[in-house]
Amino acid sequence: MWAYIVKRLLLAIPVILGVAFMVFAMVRLVPGDPARIIAGEAATQEIIEGIRKDMGLDRPLLKQFATFMGNALRGDFGRSVRSKAPVAGEVAARLPNTVRLATAGLFVAIVVGVSAGIISAIRPYSWMDTVVMLIALAGLSMPVFWSGLMLILIFAVWLGWLPAVGTGGMAHLVLPAVTLGMSTAAIIARMSRSSMLEVLRSDYIRTARAKGLAEAAVVNRHAFRNALIPVITVVGLQMGTLLSGAVLTETVFAWPGIGRLLVEGILSRDYPIVQASVLVVAMAFVLVNLMVDVLYAVVDPRIHYD
Amino acid sequence: MTRPLSRSRIRMVWVQFRRNRAGLVGLAILTMFLSAGLFAPVLAPYDPYEIELESGLKKPGPGHLLGQDELGRDMLSRVIYGARLSLVIGVIAVTIGVGIGVPVGAISGYFGGLPDLLVQRLIDVMLAFPGILLAIVLVAILGVGLVQVMVAVGIVSIPVYARLVRGQVLSLRSQEFVDAARAVGARSGRIIWRHVLPNTLAVIVVQSTLQIASAILSAAALGFLGLGAQPPAAEWGSMLSNARQYIRLAPHSVMFPGLAIMMTVLGFNLLGDAIRDALDPRMRI
Amino acid sequence: MRRALALIAAIALTGALVISAAAAPAVTPTRGGTLIVGSGVDAVTLDAPMITDSPSATVSEHMVESLYRLTPEGRIVPMLALGHTVSADGRTWTIRLRTGVRFHDGTPFDAEAVKFNLDRMLDPATRAPFRFLISRITSVTVVDSSTVRLVTDAVFAPLLAHFTHSSVGMQSPTAVRRLGVDYARQPVGTGPFKFKEWVRGDRVVMTRNDDYWGEKAFLDEVQFRVIPDDGSRVAALEAGSIHVAVRVPPREIERLKTARDFTVFVNDSLRTIYVGFNVTRPPFNDVRLRRALNHAVTKTAIVNGALFGTARVSDAPIVPAVEGYSKIMTYEFDLERAEALLREAGYSRARPLRAVFHHPSGRYIRDAEIAASIQGLVRRAGIELELRTMEWGAYLALTNRPQPENDVQMYMLGWGTVTGDADYGLYALFHSSQWVPTGSNRSFYKNDRVDALLDRGRTTVDQAERNKIYAEAMKIIMDDAPWLFLHSESQVTGIRHTAQGVVVHPAERIELFKAWIRR
Repeated sequence: MWAYIVKRLLLAIPVILGVAFMVFAMVRLVPGDPARIIAGEAATQEIIEGIRKDMGLDRPLLKQFATFMGNALRGDFGRSVRSKAPVAGEVAARLPNTVRLATAGLFVAIVVGVSAGIISAIRPYSWMDTVVMLIALAGLSMPVFWSGLMLILIFAVWLGWLPAVGTGGMAHLVLPAVTLGMSTAAIIARMSRSSMLEVLRSDYIRTARAKGLAEAAVVNRHAFRNALIPVITVVGLQMGTLLSGAVLTETVFAWPGIGRLLVEGILSRDYPIVQASVLVVAMAFVLVNLMVDVLYAVVDPRIHYD
Repeated sequence: MTRPLSRSRIRMVWVQFRRNRAGLVGLAILTMFLSAGLFAPVLAPYDPYEIELESGLKKPGPGHLLGQDELGRDMLSRVIYGARLSLVIGVIAVTIGVGIGVPVGAISGYFGGLPDLLVQRLIDVMLAFPGILLAIVLVAILGVGLVQVMVAVGIVSIPVYARLVRGQVLSLRSQEFVDAARAVGARSGRIIWRHVLPNTLAVIVVQSTLQIASAILSAAALGFLGLGAQPPAAEWGSMLSNARQYIRLAPHSVMFPGLAIMMTVLGFNLLGDAIRDALDPRMRI
Repeated sequence: MRRALALIAAIALTGALVISAAAAPAVTPTRGGTLIVGSGVDAVTLDAPMITDSPSATVSEHMVESLYRLTPEGRIVPMLALGHTVSADGRTWTIRLRTGVRFHDGTPFDAEAVKFNLDRMLDPATRAPFRFLISRITSVTVVDSSTVRLVTDAVFAPLLAHFTHSSVGMQSPTAVRRLGVDYARQPVGTGPFKFKEWVRGDRVVMTRNDDYWGEKAFLDEVQFRVIPDDGSRVAALEAGSIHVAVRVPPREIERLKTARDFTVFVNDSLRTIYVGFNVTRPPFNDVRLRRALNHAVTKTAIVNGALFGTARVSDAPIVPAVEGYSKIMTYEFDLERAEALLREAGYSRARPLRAVFHHPSGRYIRDAEIAASIQGLVRRAGIELELRTMEWGAYLALTNRPQPENDVQMYMLGWGTVTGDADYGLYALFHSSQWVPTGSNRSFYKNDRVDALLDRGRTTVDQAERNKIYAEAMKIIMDDAPWLFLHSESQVTGIRHTAQGVVVHPAERIELFKAWIRR
């Protein structure tokens, strides 16, 4: 198992380097002078010259990349064009909000998804199953930014139960978290239904039933746990949907997270901000995937790795 | 493995497909979407760009079935024209994806070796950007706008096709008929083109229906973020982005464009699932 | 100021200005609490001389004060100054300063500090966008610790009005020197509130300055929250998560009338909204095309549609409340005329006039919607405009580029004549010495006659004479049409009843100096 984990870690390195290189190359691909792009339209010639020197634009590309990586590792992404403040600080201020939103979204996705899947699986092809699966299908096809607006319309505008936008107490988190968790919940529901169905048809469950165990106990004690393993995989795979969904959800709910920072950065051509936030989100995705894989290796003793 | 799409095979697939109720629903939705897209100028009751400032945000009524937006433009006409734009976006994005992704995947899978390794790592990197993030990065490079979004969304689908085709080619490479072709001295290019690619056609078709949906969704998301189609374009995502300002006064202006996106995506998803099932019943979960 | 009275009258018509007075005159204010203002855009910078926009100025003025202040009623009153005398030739100004005042970091506010701030703004290297406000000053000398003497190169009529501007704010020399480029994020002034934190794109937080030289503030803390989306800002007000919402969409006024916890106020503003043309580049170096667009746009439809009647169609480049205003003209809506002008200039339906139209989003009331309206309206005359929506900061930077590299053809902007004097409303925008990036003339408009008139306006003391000069200048300007003249905005502000003493200043400031929370 340890060998597998080490191998998996080593495999992640070229990906991380590649992602960093793409982010590094980004401003060099934008038409125009990279120093000016980093400095912003309004920058003075001296500032542009200073940045040109910092970036080392006259040196070979790989050397420039090494400088960029060195700075990035020290958390130095330069200064924001708009605020003139160090980018790292701006990102650090927004990151906790995104983490909070993504965690809450994941929670909603798992709780709603798994329970919906189990409800469906217990009585397959019943009307209950059909309804739940139809809802799941709708949830799957609904764009995050629209379902967010619909939730605002229903729960904030019409019913007035929850605040529409912004940050604050727990109440502010409900709608964004549900919005974000919805489509992932739909996928988890479909997955856990089929996984549960498979387990319920398996031999050991039949044995458990034959022993005369109550149906609830069969589901709880035996089926649930085993059905969960493929669900964990799906959750891992869905982290991407969740992270990119966060970008949209944050815009819908005026949630000051890293996704909004990124979009604002693009709209205001604040490339240092764009670089840093893209790098952070992509790295988070790579690391979460890594963690899921490692976790998977740890929890599932049946799988052998070479 | 999958077989090439011969005429008789298509007929068989259709027989299979017709039994799938969900697939037929999807097909019906998509027929609506396609005809809205193709015949927008005939179907739309008004010019989607003609403003009527005095009747901004009017609720749905006999004159304007879906109401009017903040500038008094007819919502129904804009939603119909939105289908046209989405159709163009989807087709262009998939063309880019297939046009680049398929040859890259085929060559990389057929020849293997260092180029394959490099392509695979590049794909790893591209896929390391979750969901819409890669499209956002590309828009940050290319600039904001509808054309840029089509290109960005197209590029995003390249690794999907490349990986898919590569997998197919890998399994086909060692098949007897390929060996046979090689034995009679056919050149690699010809083998890939005549023998390998036709066999991957089925999966490409299935993937493309799903990919069109995902392209439409991504483009709408970018439009919603203000990074895609710019006003006054009748693009569903940017329509939503404008309308949400008036969610309290004019809920209709938020409902219909979103509904259109959802139905279209649903249609493609249903159709894609059904085609997949019809092509290969064993793939069904 | 002769116009001050008119200003008061206008305010009285449009709603209570000092809200606490209207709501509860007998209640004594309570100390404590946090008041939250929901604004549409974040501050751009908080370094006073670099500020060019009123959202930044609104935040800044709570912490950084100027020598004089323009009251909401339109009077100029001493602030950090005590008074002034002017020499017989009108060129030497002696200003006495308030004593015993300290900046938030303990640095004493004295003549040295004033000299530091004025010299800093005058130094071309600082690149203060509004340097022209005081550019006529040739020397600043410290007479003693509480007196400064200024010499101007000519008689300079609007100097006192210009000293009320937030750009000429007095900031701690120690902090400016020590923090360098970081100063813009943590200003240090003498105001009733002290800087606490600025979370980019989210909020600026200030706390009460307990050592304030004047009457201390009641509030413990003030927050300016950024809620870019108009609907969201209103929702936050309705939900009670903010106390004040600026720029309530006018269309919502009707619906919000029934609200019990807050009132929506419509107040005058000194702001004119316009679309500028770059008159040095094709296609808009042709005056016929500029006039054609002016004729093609139904300004009343915009005012009644997007703005729900809360605006006034412009009949001059400045608003009536500004000293020096007179009614000049309005380009009537006339499609045939517009099309004839286009034909003359060589355009037709087959060969339509095409241009790119840049505009901000979220800065002015319904700005993006108004831009889209203009695009839709001129379409009927066969003009095809391509809209480019931009975020405020980037938009300013883009339109602020010098003439040789500035390829913006059409841009939408607003100008608040916050000093209440025509010089500020005309000189900065139409004088050829004020081409960006030096000033704010983003159209690169240059007319020698206008230059001469605006120069004379600055150096003429007699107000009747000045009015005549400005009327003549404005007539030429409107005829040359470097702008598509639109309207003057009103400020539509929602204020919760628990927030007392909030002042909506015509210069588009929300002032919380004397605000308090009713419990």
